Amino acid sequence: MTPVRILSAGAATPALRLAGADVDAAWGRLAGRGRAAVCAPDEDVLTLAVEAATRALDAAGLDPVSIDGVWWGTSRPPFAEGPSHAVLAAAVGLSSRSGGALLSGSTHAGMEALLAAADAVAAGSAQVTLVVASDAMRPGLGTAFESRAGAGAAAVVLAAEGGTASLSARVTRTRPLLDRYRADGEATTRDLYDPRLFREEVFLPAVREVGEQLAALDVREWSLPDPDGRLGAVLARQLGGGAPVSAAVFAALGDTGAAAALLGGLGALDAAGIVALVGFGGGRATGVAVTVDAPVAGASTVAHALAGGRATTYPEVLRARGELVASGEIVPMGVPPGSASFVRGAEEMLGLLGARCADCGTINTPPSIHPACIACGATKFEVVSLARRGVVHTFVVNQTMPAPFVAPLPIAVIDLVDGARVMLQVIGDGDDLRIGSEVELVLRRYAYERGVPVYGFKARAAGGPPAEGRGDRERSAP
Amino acid sequence: MGWNRVAVVGAGLIKFGELFEQSYEQMSAGAFHASVASVDRGFEPSQVEAAFVATQRGTLWGQEGIGGNTVPSAIGLAGIPCTRIENACPSGSDAFRVGAMAVASGVHDVVLVIGVEKMRDKSTEEGLLSRAAAGHPIFTRGETAPVLFAPFATRHMHEFGTTREMLASVAVKNHHNGALDPFAHFQNEITVDDVLRSPPVCRPLHLLDCCPQTDGAAAVILVNAGRAHEFTDRPVYVAGFGMGTDHPYLHEKQSFVSLKATTLAAERAYAMAGVGPSDIDLAEVHDCFTITEILDIEDLGFVDKGKGGIASLEGETSLTGRIPVNTSGGLLAKGHPIGATGVAQITECWWQLRGDAGERQVATRRGYALQHNVGGRGSGVSVVNILTTNGR
Repeated sequence: MTPVRILSAGAATPALRLAGADVDAAWGRLAGRGRAAVCAPDEDVLTLAVEAATRALDAAGLDPVSIDGVWWGTSRPPFAEGPSHAVLAAAVGLSSRSGGALLSGSTHAGMEALLAAADAVAAGSAQVTLVVASDAMRPGLGTAFESRAGAGAAAVVLAAEGGTASLSARVTRTRPLLDRYRADGEATTRDLYDPRLFREEVFLPAVREVGEQLAALDVREWSLPDPDGRLGAVLARQLGGGAPVSAAVFAALGDTGAAAALLGGLGALDAAGIVALVGFGGGRATGVAVTVDAPVAGASTVAHALAGGRATTYPEVLRARGELVASGEIVPMGVPPGSASFVRGAEEMLGLLGARCADCGTINTPPSIHPACIACGATKFEVVSLARRGVVHTFVVNQTMPAPFVAPLPIAVIDLVDGARVMLQVIGDGDDLRIGSEVELVLRRYAYERGVPVYGFKARAAGGPPAEGRGDRERSAP
Repeated sequence: MGWNRVAVVGAGLIKFGELFEQSYEQMSAGAFHASVASVDRGFEPSQVEAAFVATQRGTLWGQEGIGGNTVPSAIGLAGIPCTRIENACPSGSDAFRVGAMAVASGVHDVVLVIGVEKMRDKSTEEGLLSRAAAGHPIFTRGETAPVLFAPFATRHMHEFGTTREMLASVAVKNHHNGALDPFAHFQNEITVDDVLRSPPVCRPLHLLDCCPQTDGAAAVILVNAGRAHEFTDRPVYVAGFGMGTDHPYLHEKQSFVSLKATTLAAERAYAMAGVGPSDIDLAEVHDCFTITEILDIEDLGFVDKGKGGIASLEGETSLTGRIPVNTSGGLLAKGHPIGATGVAQITECWWQLRGDAGERQVATRRGYALQHNVGGRGSGVSVVNILTTNGR
């Protein structure tokens, strides 16, 4: 195929880490090993996708509006039917003229997104494309794979030229067989097959065939699927190699579903040689060879994303997933997602937009409620995308909140580096928050309101992987 | 200025508290009858030409969209003109200001100003805390009432070294005063330690830094000063009033150590009355939280900016201090039935200026009392009213 270049990479992981032993204890089983990355109540596949995509764009030094489209692969889009792709594009800051696609339906979706974006570049219909694979598995309670069901996201930026790596070969095998299964209307995923049947007749034959095709190349590192915590190693042996580079990612995050193939190999893009990415799901197995000439921008930050996370408990995870719910009524949002103000405010909430006064330069946030400048009263504005970093001017920590809020809930007034002032919720318990604390803004799910996820930015202590100009670079309004 | 002088000839309220047993209408009638009974030479209800009723949140007692007709019906005056004022925490003081303007303009000679609020008919979750989910889906999400003021406490502590003990001293003083006020919701003394050890609500504010949720009603009778002596030999006059506004969102505030709406309202009220802060004998100010009173006494000019905390700790605002503040117990001890609060503060000023405040009576050397409220989204609405006995 026409070589497609990789300009940069980025990864994101959720806030929580669940020990498998904790899950086993709840079900009265012998304690197993391993742990899984799990979403906090305000995280999901979309917030992970935005974070990984933003890191990849930052690593490439690209303004989001210069991207021709995003190809997003996930087994669980946040809106089963709805604007999942459009919300991602707006939150990343892509132009309203951008294209791309949402690939879904199985954990194979991440590889489908990679190939579809590469094809668009190869065909010349897009110059620069963004690929995001993200997932947050939601296993059935008590299933064998529950304690390994993880979450994470990986992103790469593709283009016809530039960069330090290229997609050099691909193989796909397809058979009409079930694996993990979730019916329409079901909230969680279940295992269908006897484990031996799955291993011998479904998983190994398909993935091994793909792997053997790629093994003809001089593969330096493998990213291999590992749905049960053993099959990855079995597969590696059958392909004649040692532990795949993806093993460390599985150990840190569990099975990240549609993100697993890309996320498992992203860190290996920091050295020259061929990296083979193999994904599986929905009866399909796909392998892609990446030829790395020199370290890919952003690849070295993957380790940082893997190392984060806070230890959690099984009950906290069940609460985060909405499976442990307090009785009583939940305070509804005053502005329902179906109301006109959500239509007026959609872009400015997801893109974190402000209105810069043409006369005095003051940034008014958000634009839709500021027909007159708060500083000088003038009425001419330029819409701008706000900076994503700032300093805490003052703050509070709510200690008592009714459902659906969870206390402690810190709220801070933040002076952004571009001079705008905003007030936003702060991630965490607020214990380390101080006047003068440096924070960064990240997209989070504020509420699941009347069945609709509602997204907006929150602040968190600045940290994360070092990246060129992260959050400080100029952004264009979409 | 070309307006009629306005006199307060009657004022009264019902005992504040959790009045589960009383309806909105019964509370209205109770306050009205108390104000009628307070008129020295007697008052015939039919003399009321118009009423201004302050109720901030009809949603708190389940009858959304209440207009001006509920109260006249409840007090036996159905048919009179009645305007409902909903203007955040200053609703009551704004109703007083508007009622005073109605008399000052010459349109009416006798006006009733009444504030009524049901805070406890709904649960805390459904009532007050629901505001955390109201407003902008993102920029105000989680903004409970304490969030409107606690950021000012954080910043005041940072800039001026104000301590939690200084904040607590406000609550201790106001509970002391409330214990002397038979109409107060809480009538018990507390200590600084009680405040410091109370559970955190919205750090840095703890439970006893916050006013309670209180049902209540209060009423005052305003007349053209030229007719005041038909009703009493001891009228109290409206010396001046002022109102100020500021941007409605917290992130639009320039300063987190001062409330601009208060400073604007105060400037205008002082200018109208022709007095300054040093002329005021006592003040009833908005102490929904301890930090609010500290901001108030600075913004009203009683102490220098940044000195509110130490002034409170050192007793400058106590009953025997240089400038007694919240002699009634304030919102912290007397309670904060929103629409009734400002009218009840006026009632306290009326009692104090007439020398009727009993055990909590303070010295009134110059004959001026100041009443103040501030609130609303971004604490962007404030009203100051100044009363006087001068010119009888």
